[in-house]
Amino acid sequence: MGYTARDLATRARRRVTPQQETQPMVLTPDFESRPVISFQRVFKTYPTGTEALRDINLEVPEGDFLFLVGPSGAGKSTVVRLLIREEKPTKGKIFVDGIELGRMKRRKLPYYRRKVGLVFQDFKLLPNLTVYENVAFALRVLGEPDQHVRDRVAEALDTVSLSAKENTYPANLSGGEQQRVAIARALVHAPRFIIADEPTGNLDPATAWEIMQLFLRINARGATVVMATHNREIVDLLRRRVVAIDAGQIARDDRSGRYHDDVAKPQVRAQ
Amino acid sequence: MMLRNLKFALNSAWQSFWRNLAVSLAAVLSITLILILAGINLLVGHALSQVLDGFRAKVSEISINVSDDTPLQSVYDFEQVLTADPRVASVRFITKDEALAQFKADPQNVVFAQQIEGNPLDAKLEVHVKNLSDVAGIDTVARRWSGVDPTDPTNYQGDFVNRMLELSSWLSLAGVALLLILMLVSVVIVMNTIRTAVYHRRKEIEVMKLVGATEWFVRGPFVIEGIMTGLIAASIALALLVVAYPPAVDRFKSDIGFIPLSYDPRFITILAQDLLLAGALLGALGSYIGVRRYVRI
Repeated sequence: MGYTARDLATRARRRVTPQQETQPMVLTPDFESRPVISFQRVFKTYPTGTEALRDINLEVPEGDFLFLVGPSGAGKSTVVRLLIREEKPTKGKIFVDGIELGRMKRRKLPYYRRKVGLVFQDFKLLPNLTVYENVAFALRVLGEPDQHVRDRVAEALDTVSLSAKENTYPANLSGGEQQRVAIARALVHAPRFIIADEPTGNLDPATAWEIMQLFLRINARGATVVMATHNREIVDLLRRRVVAIDAGQIARDDRSGRYHDDVAKPQVRAQ
Repeated sequence: MMLRNLKFALNSAWQSFWRNLAVSLAAVLSITLILILAGINLLVGHALSQVLDGFRAKVSEISINVSDDTPLQSVYDFEQVLTADPRVASVRFITKDEALAQFKADPQNVVFAQQIEGNPLDAKLEVHVKNLSDVAGIDTVARRWSGVDPTDPTNYQGDFVNRMLELSSWLSLAGVALLLILMLVSVVIVMNTIRTAVYHRRKEIEVMKLVGATEWFVRGPFVIEGIMTGLIAASIALALLVVAYPPAVDRFKSDIGFIPLSYDPRFITILAQDLLLAGALLGALGSYIGVRRYVRI
């Protein structure tokens, strides 16, 4: 059974009930429609002179699940930083949801970030806040009313199966649980985009797999996911879209790819 | 939404103040000391202006001595001329008898007055000028008048008046300069204190920014914390000054008797307004600058 990303996005906005979601959904991004993320001849040179990205062209349709892979220092993180507008491109244009990030006014940036859910390798939880407060933080910042905050946080914690630990502090949680809190915080404001930078980098394989299941579910609800990762097992198992970056350039873009290009690097298969 | 954001800002400012109590108290102490200095500066300035006003009232009056052989009509004419002068506030003619009576009335002259025979005093015109700097002009006019006593024309001491004027302008300039320096120092102190607080919370700020908080949402709690710090400091400084002001005035009065210094309760209200306003402004400004670097995205 195939769904297009657009169907799912519409359903997600109507709030799918848990019963409706028991059937696992497979997402088929609509590659023909206008992309929601688009890199057009993007170059990024840091003030130190490091050339991080060279001539990047990339189009991501709504509902896509995209792995950014490549060796350390290849430019994956730069792509993520450009996407969340921590950096501006030196040359070229980046469009997300029709907004050109390089030209966006500084005061508009908070409103852009609200469309995006961010997940990091180091979780970025606030140690002096409980699980509940950490997730609620993303809504408090938006000035949402209390009742609304309570409902949405409960829903998000339920999604990541952490409702029982809402009064626990991050220090008393395992790495996987902390990352689940971070994911709950990233999706509590129902963002259309999830951008994750090595979300499984600090986790053991079993936990990493659990976290990936969460991302797949979020994607199945209609959110577009861009994930930079080093986790070969997961990429190879999921067979999703893989964009390989090497020395600042896109080396490969497969709709159903693996971590390594087997033909180009036979030595990997030999391992 | 504004109200909720304000509530959030107030809450987190309050929490942050208590959570970093050591730093907060250091800031309160520094600003208190500065505001005490500023308050003392204001009080001394006020006392000086009280003293100067006293002197001014005295020296803006000039007595023109009338020689004994001047006809009364001539004196009246000259009195008319002076009254018509735009620089003059009022003119009073004091006859020889009145002058003597005044002299005798002064308790300091009791012994001396008993030894006087006849009336050696001149009749005089007491002229009040509107502006202290115009005394010299009136003096010149008086000296040209034919009826003036040539041996002792007026009681004008040009040098003294000029020095007084110069001194008072220098003192007010010094006061303003001192206040500016104190303000600058306290802004820097608050800035550094808030910066320490911000540094402790930079992770929180980073997360706030990543989840889409506006710059003012991030800044708000710190600015409010700064205002709180400033107001607490101002209250302490004010309390100490109010307690210390009356005894200090008494002490000075007993030491330097000739200075017309007095306790002025009305000035306390002005002082309270100034200090609280200054405290709040300094706190707000210091934290605004302190947090700026971290909030900029």
